[in-house]
Parts: sequence; C-alpha cells; structure tokens
Amino acid sequence: MTLRSASQAGTPSAARLALILAQLGRIVVGKDEPLRLALACLLARGHLLIEDIPGVGKSTLAQALAATLGLKYSRVQFTSDLLPADVLGVSIYDERSQSFRFHPGPIFNSVVLADEINRAPPKTQSALLEAMEERQVSQDGQTRKLPEPFFVIATQNPTEQIGAYPLPESQLDRFLLAIELGYPDSAAERELLSGGDRRSRIGDTAPLADPATLADWQREAAAIHVAPALLDYVQALLAASRGHTGSGEAASRRGLSPRAGLMLLAAARAYALIGGRPMVLPEDVQAVFPSVAGHRLAGGTRAGALQSQSLLRAVPLP
Amino acid sequence: MNASTWFTLRPQRGTTTVRDLLTPAQIRCLGVLLLAAQLPQAPHLPIWVAATGIMLVGLRIVLLRRDRLRPQAPPARIPSWALAVFAVAAALAVRASFGYLAGRDPSVAFLYILVAIKFLETRSTRDGTLLICLACFLLVTPFFYSQSPLAAIVVLPAVLGVGVALDALTCNRTALPAFDWRSALRRSAVMILQGLPVAALLFVLFPRLAAPLWGLPSDYGAQSGLSDSMSPGQISELSLSDAVAFRVDFDGPVPPPALRYWRGPVFSRFDGRTWSPGPFMLRGGVLPVEGPVVTYTVTLEPNHRRSLFALDLPVALPVFSGGAAPLIGAPYITIDQQLLMRAPMGAESLRYSQQSVLRSRFPAMSSLESRANLGVGEGNPRTLALAAQLRALHPDDSAYIGAILEKFTREDFVYTLAPPLFERDPVDLFLFGERRGFCEHYASAFVLLLRAAGIPARVVTGYQGGAVNPRGGYMIVRQSDAHAWAEAMIGGQWQRYDPTAAVAPSRIELGLGGALSAGEPVPFLARLDATWLTGVQLAWDAFNHDWRRNFIDFNRDRQRSLWRDWRLDQFAPWQVVALIALTIFAWGAMVVGWLMWKRRHQERALVLWDDLNRRLARAGLPRQPHEGPLAFASRAAQRWPQFAIAFAAIGESFAELRYGSVPVARERDALVATLERAIDVLPAPAALRTTH
Repeated sequence: MTLRSASQAGTPSAARLALILAQLGRIVVGKDEPLRLALACLLARGHLLIEDIPGVGKSTLAQALAATLGLKYSRVQFTSDLLPADVLGVSIYDERSQSFRFHPGPIFNSVVLADEINRAPPKTQSALLEAMEERQVSQDGQTRKLPEPFFVIATQNPTEQIGAYPLPESQLDRFLLAIELGYPDSAAERELLSGGDRRSRIGDTAPLADPATLADWQREAAAIHVAPALLDYVQALLAASRGHTGSGEAASRRGLSPRAGLMLLAAARAYALIGGRPMVLPEDVQAVFPSVAGHRLAGGTRAGALQSQSLLRAVPLP
Repeated sequence: MNASTWFTLRPQRGTTTVRDLLTPAQIRCLGVLLLAAQLPQAPHLPIWVAATGIMLVGLRIVLLRRDRLRPQAPPARIPSWALAVFAVAAALAVRASFGYLAGRDPSVAFLYILVAIKFLETRSTRDGTLLICLACFLLVTPFFYSQSPLAAIVVLPAVLGVGVALDALTCNRTALPAFDWRSALRRSAVMILQGLPVAALLFVLFPRLAAPLWGLPSDYGAQSGLSDSMSPGQISELSLSDAVAFRVDFDGPVPPPALRYWRGPVFSRFDGRTWSPGPFMLRGGVLPVEGPVVTYTVTLEPNHRRSLFALDLPVALPVFSGGAAPLIGAPYITIDQQLLMRAPMGAESLRYSQQSVLRSRFPAMSSLESRANLGVGEGNPRTLALAAQLRALHPDDSAYIGAILEKFTREDFVYTLAPPLFERDPVDLFLFGERRGFCEHYASAFVLLLRAAGIPARVVTGYQGGAVNPRGGYMIVRQSDAHAWAEAMIGGQWQRYDPTAAVAPSRIELGLGGALSAGEPVPFLARLDATWLTGVQLAWDAFNHDWRRNFIDFNRDRQRSLWRDWRLDQFAPWQVVALIALTIFAWGAMVVGWLMWKRRHQERALVLWDDLNRRLARAGLPRQPHEGPLAFASRAAQRWPQFAIAFAAIGESFAELRYGSVPVARERDALVATLERAIDVLPAPAALRTTH
C-alpha cells in the first residue's frame, strides 16, 4: 500500500518499528501481516495465540521477536505430564542455608513461548493463564512480579485434538489476538528452501530495542487518539456481532463482550502506532478485528475469523 | 393425498438468478407485514379462515427457520401444484362455509387465504413487490366492515409495515446483512408523517364525486333494533341492550324528555297475539300541521331495516347527506306517517337531516284509516268483555279512554323488564293475571280495549327519550330506549296516548333506569348513577361521532361549503388542481430544503467526502460501505495513478479531520482547504470514467 508506507515515517517510533519489522521479515519470510499483528499485540500489552500446524515458523517468530527487541526468551513445550511448577518454578530446600529457595520457572522471562498449550492438563494451562492475566506468580504465600514487558506466545495445533485439552472459551479470552501463520507463498518458500536454516540467523541478530524503549512504546500506543466517529464504528461492530442486525446469518449465539471491545481498541491503537499515525482509523480496526474477534466468536478461531470478515463487510462506516 | 408429499424438499432451480431471490431476512419482513395486515381483518372472518391464513404465513416462517438451523440441507419448498390444489380447496371451503362465493364476505375471506398462499411461494423480488400490493389491498378490507377510528388505528402497524417491507426490498444488497428494521421503521414513520400534509390537502381539496363510484355490497348480517312486527316480550328483550340505535345533532335547543317520541314502525293489524303493519305502508304525504319546527340530523346505526326515525310528527321528508341518496333512492312517508326507505339499510350508518313539529295530535290522512284500525284478532275474551262493560259506563270516547288509563294507574300494575311469558290470550293473561309487563304489553292491551269499544286505535313503536352526551352536545338514543305507545282516533284526529306513562311516569321523564325497580337488569349505560366508566364510554362515543361527522361524511356538499368558506369557489376546477399541485410542490420543496439545510450544517469535511464518493461512484468506483478513507483513496489511486497524489492528500486529510484530534480551528480549516483543493484537482466523473 503506497499510502501507508508514505506515512510510515510519521513519528520517530514508527520509523524504528518499521526497521524492526524489516529485520523480522528477513527471518520470518513472507509473513508481513502476521508479524505486524504480533508486534501490535506486544505493543498493546496483550498475549498472542498462534493456531497452526507445526513447521510454519511459530517458534522462529517468537525467538526472532525476542532477539530483535532485546528481550529474554524461554520456551516451554507443553506435554500431558507438565505440572504447574514446571512452568512457574519451585521452592527447593537448601541444606546450606537451611531454608527453602525459590527456583524461578521459565515463565520469568519477557517472551515466553508456550508450545502446544493444548497438550497440557487444564491445571497447568490455568496456572499459565492466571500468570498471564495477573502478571505475577503467587506461590508458597509469596507473590513474585513477572518481568516487564511480559509477552506470552502460545501455540496450539487445531487439527490434532486427540489427547488434547482444548482451551475453554474463558481462557481463550485472555489472548488479545489469535492469528494463523499459514503456508508461505511460493516465492517466500523458495527463499526459505534456498537460504538455509533461519534459526541460525537469530543468533546473529542485533537487538534494535530494549525493555525500557518497549515500555515507552506501549505507553505511546495506549495514548493514541480515538475519535467519537471511530467509537461509533466499534460499537456498531460489537452490536453486529451480537446479532442486532436483524439478519439471521450474521447473528451469532455468542457476541463480543465489552472487554473484547476494549481489547479491540487497544490492538487497533498499537496497529495505528506501527502505521505511524497519531489516531486510529477504521482501517486499523478492520486490520485487527478478525484476530481479536475470531477466537471470541462461536465455532472456533477459523470460523470466527470468517464470520468477523463478513461482519466487517456488513457494517458500514458511520 | 399423503400430507408429507406437500413438503417435499428439492434443490432450488429455475430461471431466477441469485440476485433476484429474496433473502430470508426480506421474506421474514414480508411475513411480519402480512401478519400485521391479516390481524385487523381476522375478527370479521369465520375463525377457520382467520386461523388458516395466519397459520400459512407462520408455516413459511417456520420453514425459513428450519433452513437456517440446517444450512447444509436443501431449502424447504412446497411444490407449486400443491399450492394450486390448496387454493382450489380454499375456494371450495369458502363456498361451502358461506353458501355463495360472489359476495363481499366470501371474497374477502378468499383473498385473505390467497395472499397467505402467495406468500408460501414468494421467492423473487418480483413476488415480493406483488405481495406488498396484495397486502395493501388486504389492508383496505377491514374498512368494508367498520370505518370507526378504532379500525383506522388497528391498521396503522400494517401501514408502517408496508414502508418497512418496501425498504427491505429496495435495500442495497451488499448492505443487506446489516438491514436494521428499527431504522427502517423510523424511516417509514418519518416518510408517512412527511406525507400527511399532502394527504390532508388532497382530502380537503381533491374534487369529490357526487356519488361514490361503487357502493359497498351489503351482505345479510346480524340484526338489532325494532322489528317489523311486535309480539309480547320483543321490546323488553331489546331494552336489555346498550347498543346505540341512532345519534342526533339538534340545530336548536334539545326538546324536553316528555316530547322525545321517535316515531318508527306503526302497527294496525292484530291477530290476538302479534301486531303487524296494516295496509297503510303505501305512500302517503306529509301532513300540513302547524307549530314550531325542530330541525336535526340523525345518524342511524346500521340495522338492515327500512325504517327511519323522526320525532313525532315529521313534517318533511328526510334529506340524506352526501352520496348515500342516489344509492338508496328517495325515502317516503306512509299514510300512517312512518318514514321508510325503498331498500333495507346497508352495512354503513346513515345520516339524514329531518324536520318535525312536536305535537301529539294530528289529522288522519285517510278515511280508510278508521276502519282498518278496529280489528281485535282472536282470543282474549275477558278483555273484550271488560271493554263492553266499561263502554256501557262511559259512552263518551274521551271518558272511556280516561277510565282505562285510570285503571292502569289505580290497580297494581307493575312496570318490569322481565315480564312472564304469555303464551295464549296474552292480553287476557296480562290484564287479569300477572299484571306485570313492559311498554309493549300496556300499549297492546290499551289499543285492544279501545278497538273492542269501537274506537280506532293503533300501536306505534319507536324510541322514547335519549340522553345528551355532555362531551359532544349531541343526543344518543340506545336500544334500551325502545318504546311502544298508542294512537287513538278521536273526531278525525289521531291522538297519542302512552299507557306506560300512566303506570310508570318516570319512564318518560327519566328513562328506563328511573322507571324500573331495583334489581331489574337495566343495561349498564341506561342506569342513572354515572360512573367514570360511563364517562369514558361517552367520551369515546363523542370521538366516534365527530370522526363520522367530519371524516367519513365529508362529502361533496361539505367540501363545497368548506371551499365557499375559504373563498375557493371563485376558482375554476383547473385552478384548484393547479393550486393543489403548487402546494404539494411547495411542501416537497420544504422537505428537501430542510434536508439540504441539515446537510449544510453537518461537518464540512463529511459533506466534501460524500460529494467525492458520489462523484467517484458515477465515475465507476463506488466506495464500499465499510471502506475506510485511506483504503478507498488507495484503491482510487490504483485505478487512476495519475491522480495518486491528489487521492493521497484526500485520504489523509479526511482521515485526519474525521478520526484525528485537531483541536486548533486554523489547522482544521487548513485541512479542509487541502481536502477541497485535492478534490478540485480531479476532473468531472464523466471524464474520469473514460481515463485510464
């Protein structure tokens, strides 16, 4: 889009974010829009759910994001025997100091990749999801703050559900965005095949930001202007998702909650920041809407995303 | 036939394209319209017709719902041959139910079912339009039965529904999933309100015809009111009814209660039990009596009879107001001074103006009258014996009549609404047995006693009294005011005698409620103790009466007199038509001007943006309703790359103005100026269309 790139350098943060996206794009090839959404999710202080089959670059994306932003990264492979302590950490008796010492789990990192989250039993899932919501871990009567920024990328494989514990709707709601990566197009695939292992490049990546800068950007995103006309539009979208349109096809049995509306605004603000605009446009809302609404509407992420696409087409700009 | 074959499922086929097919939302909308149009008509139909029509519409809606719940299954469809069979069956059933088909009632019933059948096979936009026309026709049918304000209010939802359905049918298809019935309803209501002045203008000014183009066919319906004969118990039964017989608007002061004798059917023939009209139903003439003339207008409720009512004694023939006269024909007055129409009354109420002189004595019209009013019928021997006995004592006519009236007053006769049933020799039983009776018993016995003594006498039925409605200043005469009295010929003059007055004088002064003892089943509205409910009822009656007077009966004469009042009669008809056209045009200009004024006071940026959207749409690039400013501008820039810079400026400045925060007025103005200049760069739509 010529117009958007022309206005991309509108703010200093937008220029640096463009650089970051460019660097990410060299590692995760041909996935500009998912990368942009993932970055917007991080800037909006939300968590990301990636639903896709293995091997399309989910871990690469998480690692590249952490490396480029200069954040500490850890990865937890969720399995059916994973316990909450394996994620959160455990207190072990230290004979030398005659006391219990807390060994922090992998969650005490800024970017946490929770791989195949639907393989773990619900107890472990909810331990992670609670930590995501509270941004702290309470254990043995002690509350420990998680690092700031704190960003969880959870993945799940939607096609293999045997022996899995699919996340209930209320848990899905904790993820700001749910995206799919999908197969790369042929040019990108050719580049992948000829270019060798992408992960090895991550080690060479120079960080382009640090936690403090990231926190600044997050504050900046939260302050992006939202006009009354845009709120009208968001409200119309929410109402349409609740089936107030009088049309049976678009009506859903589970509409978007007010919190989903707030999250939609937060994501759209971050998206506008990446676009270098001081205000949110309907285009920003439309860009993030399927990812925000998809997993919150009935029928699974994919059906929800399709439904939200048709909602977008159905609701005119006020 | 196996019922399941009616609802066979098969994939949709045929020549209609997907674009022409109605969406489920549109069909539902039509269904709601049909229900709204059916409901006002339903009370006038046999219950099976009403239920069938509503159920057919419901069936379609249920099938739609089934389609929605099972999106994979082929849409449910009732084969058209089944619908045809059903239509024929409905016609036969209507024929069987009514006994005939070519009349108002069966036709309306058939239309009612047919519209529902049409809805079952409605699939394309064309069907939908046809269905809306049919619904409009269905909406008119309740007025065949009643033209009361209530009937008008009841069809209002359906009128709104027509607007909503039209809105849904013409709605932009891409925006259809977002079809919002609330806003459609609001739009429809606003448009009806905007049309009201035009409707009012046409109502007042559009030249009316002297007679309606077609009369309402009247089917034989329920009857109430005085009948063509009188036997014991008939009037007392009628007196149990609150129903209005007629309403009267007096031109001058209202006559006192004792003089309010509304003359109706006159009976000369008596068979010992039942009174019936004599040979004097023939055309007579208005008697030349003198006295102050009372002028008034009667609005007679439909009663399917030929009688008209007038205060005793009518001195002119009634003059029908408006278009009714040519249909009914001129009324006439019989020899025994009752007013008759040539044909029974139709389903509509009737208004006529009438003149009377209030007097109880008038000359007989024909010498034959004295001979024809002497028959005593069969039976009642004791009454005849009593008459002979009394006559021997009082050879003078007046003295004899006085003696009879005195007998009623002196002896313990009781005036009651619930007299016993007199099977044989009713007058004997009444006079010598029960001594309890209603006005018809007294009148009957009185006349028989006179006839037995050789004095010509006859029974007159009609209404006595009537109450002035304080809310409207007009008089209501109810069925409970029905009355029977007597006339005797003395010295060539007919003299009115009311034997009931001798027994219960308060019946004449206070009406039924005052004359009956406690515990009698007096109709609610005839009681003397007024409650708030009576007040509400009277107010509603006054409203109905005004409605009838001012709207339903607004005919050519009234229109002409209104034009005279407004000094419009000096213009030629074409000038009036031109005036109407001019006024409608002015009104349209006002509405459009108001819309434009509103638009001008909207944000300047929005106005410019809307203009641009219109121009680009004409150039072949309409903006999608959901398309944001930047997305649309970049699409336009791809279409016309030579204007990419202008489109970029347009998109960004409009986005900034509409969605940004630009608190400084000068900055806003600068952005608006940028937007305006950038739009000015673009050529006209026609030129844009041809450039690539």
